[in-house]
Amino acid sequence: MSRHVAIVGIGQTHHARRRTDVSQAGLVREAVDRALADANLTIEDIDAVVIATGPVLFAAVNMPEKWVVDACGARLKPVMRVTSGGGTGLAGALAAYYQVAGGQYERVLVVAYDKLSEGALQYSISTLYDPFWGREFAVGIMGFSAAYWRARMDVLGHTEEAAAMVSVKNHRNAMNNPYAHVRKEVTVDDVMKSRPLAWPIKLLDVPPISDGAAAVVLSSEKMAAKSTDRPAWIRGMGYFCEADNAPARSMLVSEPLALAARRVYRSAGITNPRRQFDVVEVQEPYTCFELSYYESLGLCAPGEAAALIASGATEMDGDIPVNPSGGCMGANPIGATGLIRIIEAAAQVMGKAGAHQIPNARLALAQSGGGWANLRGVAVLSA
Amino acid sequence: MMQAPDSYLIERPPLKTTLAMAYTLTPGRAAGTFLAETINRRMVGSRCRSSGLVCVPAQDFCPRSGGADMELVAAPDTGTLTGFTATEAGIIATIRIDGADFDFVHRILGADVGALSIGQRVQAVWAETMTQSILDISGFQVVATAPLGRIAPLNEPAPALPSKPYALDLHYEHAFGPFYGRLFDEIGSSRRIMGVRSSSGEGVLIPPREFDDISFTRTGTWVALPDTGTVSAMSVIHLEFKGQKEPPPYIYAEIQLDGAVTRLIHSIKGIDMSRAAELVRPGTRVRAVWTDSRTGSLSDISHFEPIAADDAAGR
Amino acid sequence: MNNPNRVAVVACAQTELRPAWSGAQHVDLISATVSALLKGSGVALADVDFVIDSGSDVLDGRSISNCGFLGAMGAHHKEESRVEEDGLWAASYGVNKIAAGAAELGVIIAYSKPSESDVSLFYASQVEPFYQRPVGFDHVAACGLQAQQYLVRGGARAADFARVVARSWRQAARNPHVAGTQTLTEDEIDAGAYVAAPLRRHMISRPLDGCVAVLLAGAAVARRMTAQPVWVTGMGAAMDSHAFAVRAPGRVEACEVAAKAAYARAGLDPRSAAIAEVSGASAAGEMMVLEALGLAAPGQGFAAYAGATAINLSGGALPADPIMATGLVRLAEAWRQMTQPADYGLAGVNSAIVHATGGVGMQSHCVFTLEV
Repeated sequence: MSRHVAIVGIGQTHHARRRTDVSQAGLVREAVDRALADANLTIEDIDAVVIATGPVLFAAVNMPEKWVVDACGARLKPVMRVTSGGGTGLAGALAAYYQVAGGQYERVLVVAYDKLSEGALQYSISTLYDPFWGREFAVGIMGFSAAYWRARMDVLGHTEEAAAMVSVKNHRNAMNNPYAHVRKEVTVDDVMKSRPLAWPIKLLDVPPISDGAAAVVLSSEKMAAKSTDRPAWIRGMGYFCEADNAPARSMLVSEPLALAARRVYRSAGITNPRRQFDVVEVQEPYTCFELSYYESLGLCAPGEAAALIASGATEMDGDIPVNPSGGCMGANPIGATGLIRIIEAAAQVMGKAGAHQIPNARLALAQSGGGWANLRGVAVLSA
Repeated sequence: MMQAPDSYLIERPPLKTTLAMAYTLTPGRAAGTFLAETINRRMVGSRCRSSGLVCVPAQDFCPRSGGADMELVAAPDTGTLTGFTATEAGIIATIRIDGADFDFVHRILGADVGALSIGQRVQAVWAETMTQSILDISGFQVVATAPLGRIAPLNEPAPALPSKPYALDLHYEHAFGPFYGRLFDEIGSSRRIMGVRSSSGEGVLIPPREFDDISFTRTGTWVALPDTGTVSAMSVIHLEFKGQKEPPPYIYAEIQLDGAVTRLIHSIKGIDMSRAAELVRPGTRVRAVWTDSRTGSLSDISHFEPIAADDAAGR
Repeated sequence: MNNPNRVAVVACAQTELRPAWSGAQHVDLISATVSALLKGSGVALADVDFVIDSGSDVLDGRSISNCGFLGAMGAHHKEESRVEEDGLWAASYGVNKIAAGAAELGVIIAYSKPSESDVSLFYASQVEPFYQRPVGFDHVAACGLQAQQYLVRGGARAADFARVVARSWRQAARNPHVAGTQTLTEDEIDAGAYVAAPLRRHMISRPLDGCVAVLLAGAAVARRMTAQPVWVTGMGAAMDSHAFAVRAPGRVEACEVAAKAAYARAGLDPRSAAIAEVSGASAAGEMMVLEALGLAAPGQGFAAYAGATAINLSGGALPADPIMATGLVRLAEAWRQMTQPADYGLAGVNSAIVHATGGVGMQSHCVFTLEV
């Protein structure tokens, strides 16, 4: 049987548009120091390190784990990098989870980061596209994401106004997050009138571009007590994919996310996600995705996402708060973002989310994903 | 012995692509100070306050202890050769700067590799013009009489360099392979868009591929698709960004050609762009507008344009 | 190991390793390999729980390159992860996932087509960009410096480099999976131009195109599938400092640490291993790895080839280095030698050591031990 695994330490940087005081490696170190301190450990206590970053073209350093190993102080430890576009933080945590659950290691440090100010973001994301097949039309994944949002509008009623409400909510929540780098309230009207970038996506549907790093310490059950008496237990985690140009790919409801959720809910005993989860953290690279995730994660039925956001249920004081941290709207260092969702979910069930704590949160859901909206994962954490 | 699929042998030269990536990289405190100080011909090192070990050039983290509490120090520009090799880039050497506990990797200038030996004294050769680069030290040269230097406090260090431009040009020659090869051969030669029938037989896959993604069984026969189709998703691009090929505004479209069950990515034009969102929507019928050139690539299609909703599928 | 969750290699498949697969795309090589794996093992894709793959965005010329290859990998609507290290690290992920009881059957894939890009830039771009990259320090230079350090450390002789290379190419010429191998004499090798003195042309591993896939299974499934499961009994990994000049000269300490961890888990004395398949970045690198693995005394790497453990019957990485896949190819080679020992002139192979490396000057190492 699988060993129980807990998150016993979390840390993230104060995210910013541009950090010129630290290198990529220095940024990593800040998050590592915070996570180790939170776990009441030093790097000597760590058996292995998993590094997760966005695509290497973001940052000019190929195989960057082989550079930042020095900043982690992890010389002569096992260090492995996992990459999965925007979902890489969750994918990295998943690899580390299995290193502990499978019995190879007792404690694994997961580090995720991106220093997006250093590269040409949309150009590098555009290289996701097949060089033979459409790359010249790519606008990162913004053109693609906007296109399928447009399709979902017709079929599922994900209106521009509904997406604007996501922006308003997440911007407001980010006001209470000390690590967010955008802390500015917006209104539905502001979002609707903001400049179209890839219509229907407008400027205020888009999260900021950030420099940031995040780290967590995963521990086996027997070692967890040294770090904390209130860990966040991993009740299930999964990451599924969909072939990017498979026949009849729907892209209306995210099938890989629905698959991941179904699998993980089964192992975690979740039968009614809306009622059972106390809090949800999703990675919304654009506002439209948060609406889509409500449906794929089973927080509402397909076609009901606009009504769900309008009802206020996903607000801080709603019955299923989504992104109390502000989500990506507060900060979006892409490679770290998935791990930040896990950190925020863990902070909620560990009772250390501070000003954006949901009272008595016991069970949390974190979602992350990347690529062509075809790499999707979830994690369920409990007190 | 497994061979690659050879259902259609092609002679196409590879697709050449270049990824020209521009960066502004932040060196951080230690390297940033080092690079800011070369103009003063001061070599900057760092001493770890926990291990006491000295790195030259300066590092933010102690290579041995991992400690981050590093004191910047002034280092001499003299040292001892600890190792060397000769590559296309010249003589690359490891050098132990006097007083340092770790080696420095740099070039050796003005020497024949055969004349070098470990233990020789070396001294930095500073460049004539300084560019805030490690190459402000052009390299090291063998100086038998190089004085023995020592580590000293770094007085009034220059502020660390906040960022440095950097460019990475990556060049590729992508093989077409038999499936893409035939697709693009026929686009170039006969204006036919060739897909393969999915293994279930229910539709056509483009780009063509040997294995059906869902059943993972071999795909069937080649099928020519018409150049008409239906928009499955679209957005109106206004954003400008570095490396963009198409000047905005334009419509980014994912199109299912008639008979296809996968998507083709292209642009839609030939409409009043101020009414783009109204004139083109999911479900809009479109047809390819071909260019006069025959390069055998997707850009042989200039763009797609809307056609009447009842326009027959195929021609 | 009596772990009920122990994990076995139950099948392997690979393409030929060629200087250039100019008539095939990545997806063509990948789908052909996965198809051969499934056919060879009799497993239906529906029974495969997950796919973990290794490849490099920089070599592939695409970001998140796995994203476009998922269909070819048979990963559609399955759990998939990209480990951007050599495929042996991907295999270690797969072993952990099965050992955790989360899955029973997983496909590990590693591939590359270095012929499509510039391998020197693949390595140079790994080097820290402020101090080391601008001076021209790269993988080739690191291998040269390392070879010199190895000689300086004592015991090894430069003449051994040509012997190691000649031996590797001789073995590779018998390996049906490696293309473009001619027999190279020691004189021919020693007449080659220096690329990073003291290393000459053939003394640094030759990048090749290819793809390899390995099927891992939990104990119960493995026993049902095959009479010859090859058990993964130990795994270890370690990464050295990025700064080359900081690493212990003349040895590969990270390999020593990785090997120790794997042997401790397996309870294996390396000298009792019947075979070893190792990845040396250079002739000197291969000998240093053999020492680090405990198959030779310090400075005596060359003696390992005459020892009780049969080393690199495949030819190893020197004639055939499909970057990102090299270590997983070693696993596949070891599996073949263990399941079909007669083909290799072996009476029987009870245990094996498999080694992978990555990074500039072999910064990172991964070691598996296998037993039948």
